[in-house]
Amino acid sequence: MRIKNNLVGKKNQKFWQRAGRSFHNNWQLYVLLLPAIGFLFVFNYLPLYGVQIAFRDYKAAFGILGSKWVGFKHFVDFFNAYYFKRLLANTFLLNLYGLIISFPIPIVMAIFLNQIEHKKYKKFIQTTIYVPHFISTVVMAGILYLFLSPSNGIVNTLIVALGGDSLHFMIEPNWFRPLFIISDIWQHAGWNTILYIAALTGIDPGIYEAATIDGATKMQKIRHIDIPHLVPIVVMMLILSCGSLLVSNTDKALLMQTSGNMSKSDIIGVYVYQIGIGKAQFSYTTAIGLFINVINFVMIISVNWISKRLNQTGLF
Amino acid sequence: MRNFLGSGFRARKSIGDVTFDIINNIFWIIVLFIVLYPLWFVIIASFSDPDMVIQGKVLFWPKDFSWIGYEAVFDHKELIRSYGNSIFYTLTGTALSVAVTMMAAYALTQNFPGKKFVNFLFVFTMFFSGGLIPQFLMNKQLGLHDTILLMIIINCVSIWNLMISRTYIMMNVPKELYEAAIMDGASHFSYFFRTVLPLSGTIIAVLCVYYGVSRWNDYFTALVYITDRKKLPLQTVLREIIASLTTSTSTDAFFDAYADDIQGMVDARRKAAVAKYCAIVISTGPAVILYMFMQKYFVKGVMLGSLKG
Repeated sequence: MRIKNNLVGKKNQKFWQRAGRSFHNNWQLYVLLLPAIGFLFVFNYLPLYGVQIAFRDYKAAFGILGSKWVGFKHFVDFFNAYYFKRLLANTFLLNLYGLIISFPIPIVMAIFLNQIEHKKYKKFIQTTIYVPHFISTVVMAGILYLFLSPSNGIVNTLIVALGGDSLHFMIEPNWFRPLFIISDIWQHAGWNTILYIAALTGIDPGIYEAATIDGATKMQKIRHIDIPHLVPIVVMMLILSCGSLLVSNTDKALLMQTSGNMSKSDIIGVYVYQIGIGKAQFSYTTAIGLFINVINFVMIISVNWISKRLNQTGLF
Repeated sequence: MRNFLGSGFRARKSIGDVTFDIINNIFWIIVLFIVLYPLWFVIIASFSDPDMVIQGKVLFWPKDFSWIGYEAVFDHKELIRSYGNSIFYTLTGTALSVAVTMMAAYALTQNFPGKKFVNFLFVFTMFFSGGLIPQFLMNKQLGLHDTILLMIIINCVSIWNLMISRTYIMMNVPKELYEAAIMDGASHFSYFFRTVLPLSGTIIAVLCVYYGVSRWNDYFTALVYITDRKKLPLQTVLREIIASLTTSTSTDAFFDAYADDIQGMVDARRKAAVAKYCAIVISTGPAVILYMFMQKYFVKGVMLGSLKG
């Protein structure tokens, strides 16, 4: 008995020693993590606690916990609201058209850039096409307003000089989506080549050399080397982009919205901001936000699952 | 420039390849024009005489060179104050973000109990959030509403940047160094500060650009949280200039405010025609210049992040 007790005691001692050593080694790691976790707690996890006001009738005087439970009232209100379909359609279509039109452009750019042999010229192009990415959304919208101004914008000046009538671009609803998408392409298409350029740079130069010796032209190399190498990453990017078809680009839509183009520019994020912050309908807009965040969450998880199935690579 | 048309015509260049190179070069000349012309136009318009800009006579070169727009911008006290605010928010916020991100990134390269849980805490925030309104209400309850502190600490850690940094440290700081440091009895702190940080110059530069530019360019945070006009950052004030463009096509309420009389009003409007271009130049300049300086580190660091992503 005594011997056995002794053994157990030794085992215990070892465990605690190991645990102690582990803590001794690791407490500094926890300290290093602490600020990041602290900020996430305040700005991401506390709001998750606050999300319960979507199911309450929030009154500032009563606080979150003191406000009355109303269940799914705000959700039902939103589904029955006059704007419900319009908001959903505007958000979805803006993203869908944007995806269809802008998705192929960086791929084409990357393939063409990869065929430039002069190193400095290539570097110059690469540096230049990234620049618009660093312009703020406010300035981007400002450039649109200035260039497209009906009275003295350069675009309308040219249209008039060519014998046309000046157009009210920023007021006409049907111009909202094209302008939104074109300016997005101008700003980000160059930047979005990075991923594809990285994939193309990863191709073994030996393959190109072998192709050259066999007398392949550049077009043939693109068709038989570049494109097959790009397919997996293109498929992955396409699937993942589908996961964010209902995400609002609130910053930009808010800036481009005018009283004239409301019927197209009213998207969910803008609506939540205007009704929530502007008119203090906190519970209602929290419900809208929660509804859309849940959809986005389900979508991103599903597309990630699909991407993993197809490619063995996902976002996480 | 010998090789401008493709590849300097080395031996055995097929007709197909020559045609391809010509088309490719035309393609890039058009793309570069589309990318650069709007930027160039903003710059030349900002240095031109307002009347020339209004009449559409400025196309490729400044017409009747003048500083009048820049004078209007520098006379605008609110714009200048917000410029100072933005510099302050960007410098402090970026320094904090980079420090917090690098510390957490290093910790995530090591093994410790509870690592999986911590990873989950981070990644989850990428995919689900409470939304704008709960965040707004919580910050109000915490007393962060309308404070300078909020402008510095909000969006402090980007999970995406954290992942890039972690990958960078794993790939660029050799494991042997860690083992050697442990043998010498070094702690995580001393290893992090003496070994990891000095080897992470590239990723720190990339983080500075990412965090710096996104802070400098952010107008929405202040729109939601800041009510005291003295605390507004540059982009939010710029937005008001743009908003004044949307409400009507002919007035420029923003610059009108600084006129004393009718003559002053006419002058102010004339100036405003170019002052907007000047405001764009002085607000975009710092971000683009920062990118140009860091560009060397940048392509490398971003590639690395995207390869892993």
